[in-house]
Amino acid sequence: MAAADMRTTRPAVNRGRPWLAGLVAFLVTAFVIIAATLISAPTRGIKIFPLKPYIGEAVGSGRLFVLMGVLLAVLVGLLAAVMISRNWGNQERRQEMMTAYLFLSPYLLITIVFTVGVLLFALYIAFQQYDIFTAPKWVGLANFAKAFKTKDFVQSLVNVLWYALVVTIVQTSLALLLAVQLNSRFGGRNFFRTIFYTPSVTSSVVISMIFWWLYLKTGYLNFGLEKVFGLFGVTWAKVEWLNNPRGLFQLIAIALGGNISSDLWYLRGPSVTWMAIMFQNIFTTIPTFMLMFLAALQDVPSSLYEAASIDGANGRQQFWKITLPMLRPAVLLVVVLSTIGTLQIFDQVKILTGGGPLGTTLTPVYLVYREAIGTQGQIQMGYASAMAFILAIIIFVFTFLQRRFIERGTEQY
Amino acid sequence: MAVTTAPRTLRMPSSEEAARARRIRTGLKYIFLALIALIALAPFILAFMGTFKTDAEIIAYPPKFLPAKWLVSNWAKTWGTDFGAGATFPRWLANTAVVSVGSAILQVLCCSMAAYAFARLRFPGKDGIFAFMLTSMMIPGAVTLIPAYVVMTKIGFVDTYWSLLVPGAISAGNIFLLTQFLKAVPRELEEAAYVDGASRFRIYKDVVLPLSRPALLTVFILQFQGMWNAFMAPLLYLNTPKMWVLNVAISTFQQQYKAAWNLTLVAAMFNAIPVLILFAFFSRYYIEGISYAGLKG
Repeated sequence: MAAADMRTTRPAVNRGRPWLAGLVAFLVTAFVIIAATLISAPTRGIKIFPLKPYIGEAVGSGRLFVLMGVLLAVLVGLLAAVMISRNWGNQERRQEMMTAYLFLSPYLLITIVFTVGVLLFALYIAFQQYDIFTAPKWVGLANFAKAFKTKDFVQSLVNVLWYALVVTIVQTSLALLLAVQLNSRFGGRNFFRTIFYTPSVTSSVVISMIFWWLYLKTGYLNFGLEKVFGLFGVTWAKVEWLNNPRGLFQLIAIALGGNISSDLWYLRGPSVTWMAIMFQNIFTTIPTFMLMFLAALQDVPSSLYEAASIDGANGRQQFWKITLPMLRPAVLLVVVLSTIGTLQIFDQVKILTGGGPLGTTLTPVYLVYREAIGTQGQIQMGYASAMAFILAIIIFVFTFLQRRFIERGTEQY
Repeated sequence: MAVTTAPRTLRMPSSEEAARARRIRTGLKYIFLALIALIALAPFILAFMGTFKTDAEIIAYPPKFLPAKWLVSNWAKTWGTDFGAGATFPRWLANTAVVSVGSAILQVLCCSMAAYAFARLRFPGKDGIFAFMLTSMMIPGAVTLIPAYVVMTKIGFVDTYWSLLVPGAISAGNIFLLTQFLKAVPRELEEAAYVDGASRFRIYKDVVLPLSRPALLTVFILQFQGMWNAFMAPLLYLNTPKMWVLNVAISTFQQQYKAAWNLTLVAAMFNAIPVLILFAFFSRYYIEGISYAGLKG
């Protein structure tokens, strides 16, 4: 089709010079990609100006990286050249194409530098020993192996899996419950919806500071629990919520007269501090997911409920047999979003605990941050990057599995 | 729309007893909703009360709901203190406003342009770029945000607004949202303008932008709120205290300046109040944004 168009239009009027347009396209594309490559190349030091020594440094220290970048530049450049020159002959198509790329240029430029370039840089240094100041050194899979051999990282994975499991289950079910409550028509519905959403509007930093204060030994949480337990004549021993490393299962063991030794830390379950942070996160994220469920509920045809109630189904049956099956795509979305978000938790840990006590609130992203910035000793960009990719793979696997698992059920409906 | 309550009337003849049962159920429902509302607001109300307490009162046990004396001076004190080298709360508030409003404006422009190209124009490479964009949404932030600070340092973006404004000018998710929106808008107006000889740029500016105002407002608010609440990126890229945004300042307030809890809570309020006010006015767009992101995401 495209070839046929060209044959008819090109001889008629010689509209510009396709080969020249192709050449320009090649040069521009290749230039952008090579520039992005040079910027993100791993170098000794971080001074980009004066340009000439920097380029020498980039080519010297990150030879393989730059080589791959140039290769990519040539390939994409050729692709662009072919596309542009092919469509150059037809004036309308040419205009449409040029407008489109002009409109896309901010997105493309920014994404090439800050997403693609940075991603390739991260991937490259994951296999290197790299501290920004000395030349990167190829170490193969050593960074990945080191991650799995380091207790901090393994513990952070265990922590974050607990976190994702508990937070996702609790907040998805509570959000669904609230959405169903808010879905029917009643006076003040919008008022309640707005109020309920408030915790999600505020930044995690603000919420963290407020909860920090509420979690103090003299804070409102202990106060409230003391009052509630007092009703039953039980004295509540005040807890330092943000500094209590005892795990859930450990507490149960202690209550039964035993304990779980520190060699078996992974059996202790989420610590009190970690559960306090979970609670805070659940509090702030429920409203967002509630709104997503509310939006999905709008699409459930009310005739289904009418038919069901004529057949004598009660409210609970309607929920399990109609609402939940109809909401399956929304549940999938919420579960996936929640898992992705919780596996990457960082803010609360950075602000409230710094990974403590006893590493029970360490998370992979916090470790990536710690090693990349070098807050504890040397900067280890390569190691940090390897950990980030391990986390990314875990996230991909989870997303994939959830999709398979939840979507499989939808086929029957 | 009306779901659970309406059908029930079909089944039950509305005898007096049924009406009473319904009234009780409605009453219980409102009590339940009011309880949830109280839980949702409690931390904010308690913290707000805390901002007026004295240093000792705020950590006293048992805590009292109302301050013994309303110390409005806590607010003035936090607002007026210079933490050295021009680092003050007004400055941090201004920094936060600049990056939030700036990136939201940039995003409305850049994302709508890209969305127009995806939704309306035919060009080679479109499917490939669009697929790439959707895939890029799956990259976890941690993988790129942290190494990006090396790139930021190299190009001199560190400690400038650009470090947040430039990467914040685009968002794959918002481009996708706008593309879906535009695809659902009928093309007749644009085609009429095209026949009249308007250029593609004029069509974008004079037809498409006004038509998609609600979606653009949604994008603006999503990005504004996202940037206002951002923590990791500003923490990484803005290092001198003067350039901090509120979130970074508040998070270090406790340790770095050994601030008392009452002042810390005032600081938290400086961040929360503008967003809450905005939310009170535009809650519809917030809610639509989240619902929309949910449905289309």
